[in-house]
Amino acid sequence: MHSSKHERRRISSKLADATLTTGGTPDGLDYSPVAMMPDVRVLKIGGQSVMDRGREALFPILEEVTAAKDKHKLLLCCGGGTRARHIYSVASDLELPTGVLAALGGYVPRQNARMLQMLLAKHGGLFILHDDFEKLPLYFRLGCIPIMTGMPPFGYWEKPTQGGRIPEHRTDAGVFLTAEVLGAKRAIFVKDENGLYTDDPKKNKNAQHIPRITAKELLERDLPDLVVERVVLEYMQRSRFCTEIQIVNGLEKGQLTRALEGEDVGTVITRE
Amino acid sequence: MSKLVTGDGRTHIESSLMRESLVDRRVVAKTDSEGEFAILPDVVLVGLGGQSIFDRGRAAVMPLVEELKTLREARKAGKKGPPPMVLGVGGGTRVRHTVSVALDLGIPTGGVAQLVGAMEEANAVFLNALLAKHGSIVMQREHFWELPLYLESGMLPIVISIPPYHFWEPPPEDGPLPTHGSDFGLFIHAEVLGMKKLIFVKDEDGLFDKDPKRHADAKHIPRITLGELSKNMPDELIIDRQLFVCWQRARHVEQVQIVNGLVPGQLTKALAGEPVGTVITRH
Repeated sequence: MHSSKHERRRISSKLADATLTTGGTPDGLDYSPVAMMPDVRVLKIGGQSVMDRGREALFPILEEVTAAKDKHKLLLCCGGGTRARHIYSVASDLELPTGVLAALGGYVPRQNARMLQMLLAKHGGLFILHDDFEKLPLYFRLGCIPIMTGMPPFGYWEKPTQGGRIPEHRTDAGVFLTAEVLGAKRAIFVKDENGLYTDDPKKNKNAQHIPRITAKELLERDLPDLVVERVVLEYMQRSRFCTEIQIVNGLEKGQLTRALEGEDVGTVITRE
Repeated sequence: MSKLVTGDGRTHIESSLMRESLVDRRVVAKTDSEGEFAILPDVVLVGLGGQSIFDRGRAAVMPLVEELKTLREARKAGKKGPPPMVLGVGGGTRVRHTVSVALDLGIPTGGVAQLVGAMEEANAVFLNALLAKHGSIVMQREHFWELPLYLESGMLPIVISIPPYHFWEPPPEDGPLPTHGSDFGLFIHAEVLGMKKLIFVKDEDGLFDKDPKRHADAKHIPRITLGELSKNMPDELIIDRQLFVCWQRARHVEQVQIVNGLVPGQLTKALAGEPVGTVITRH
């Protein structure tokens, strides 16, 4: 049937003969994943919702961050905002592929992370790249506040988006995946609203606040718009560690601090 | 497109996406269009199997090195030579060993994804050592936009096949294994650059309805469409499943061909457009 003149030189292992493309847990494997740094608080600082508001919104948030930094290990991840929207708009007009949009969109959260670093430098703010991720234990041990882009490193390797061009994995997804690989149970998103509402509170004054909801319920409602990137809710269905995300209002003094203490302020989205 | 807009506490730049929620399907739909700009449409991506070719050593690799050398010379000679090529190579048995040890240790999926790329890169270095005098060069990810330079100067670029999902590998739908492997990585690399064709060089004559190494009665599939294949996906596949999932929403790749690298000349024929091995078409 096949012309194997020369054998494959194999290292024997439980997976040596397995088809890796079928999914599932390989036979004879008892997989129980290790949480790398479950006590890290992964925080997303919103782009449009916080950074684009400038000093008035950001400085009080940074005060809360510096006040909490000796008590908690804080990893700050930045969103993009209006400049990312401008990039996606121009790139879509030019009919460029999603992967190019993802690579280009990555520049803006990186700028925002660098701005945060400059503002937090005197408190140990440290701009880090994806490649520095393995040095997190050192940064925390030194009492630093590592700051990175929220964007995952997919860039040109981002999958094409169905029915549009905007990459599906942006800074919400990156922050969630960061928490997941660190083994943290919850990721915190700092935005400019108290979380989730029945309608857009910026447009509808009667919109009601939803303090707690499951990702499954949100997906089942099949809403055209969501409070976080769709893939985050999908990944929450099958993640091993990060099963909750919390959206807090950074404009309301003290909310972030309470969230860091574990209080369910804002909106908590759980898996089930 | 450069007007600044304020008044709601935020500073916006005027654009069609200003103030919009990028999660909103209606907003996302505004960024869609029929066409898409193809960056390097005439280039063909050739992926050499890790386990299927590289792990067989000299006997399997050297004839392919010779074939690639001849192809490159034909291309340099001009006329109607083969199309410009970009090479990629899988990681093979060392990837499996890495994954096996890592899963036993309880390394999280993202951690496993971070590890496996090293084995693929090692094979890229192997291939480059053998092809260097014929103009190959390992293209590091940071040098993404140097690809036209390499191609224009007649070189044989070797790209890193594993996609840079690393620690950020999304949770798999089933089980702990990362799903974005080297076949998928090469596919997405070709797709983002607007390439129309990929050729995977493996140790079988292409796709079979089951693994021909285990089943003597496995039937060869010479030609199939993506739609037919997706409806009736064999359990054991010679190519990452994720590639086919992603292909459903791709815009550029028209054809994925799988050829037998142990049969001299099959790769050359495939590059000349002959339907050797298995030809999978998008439509």
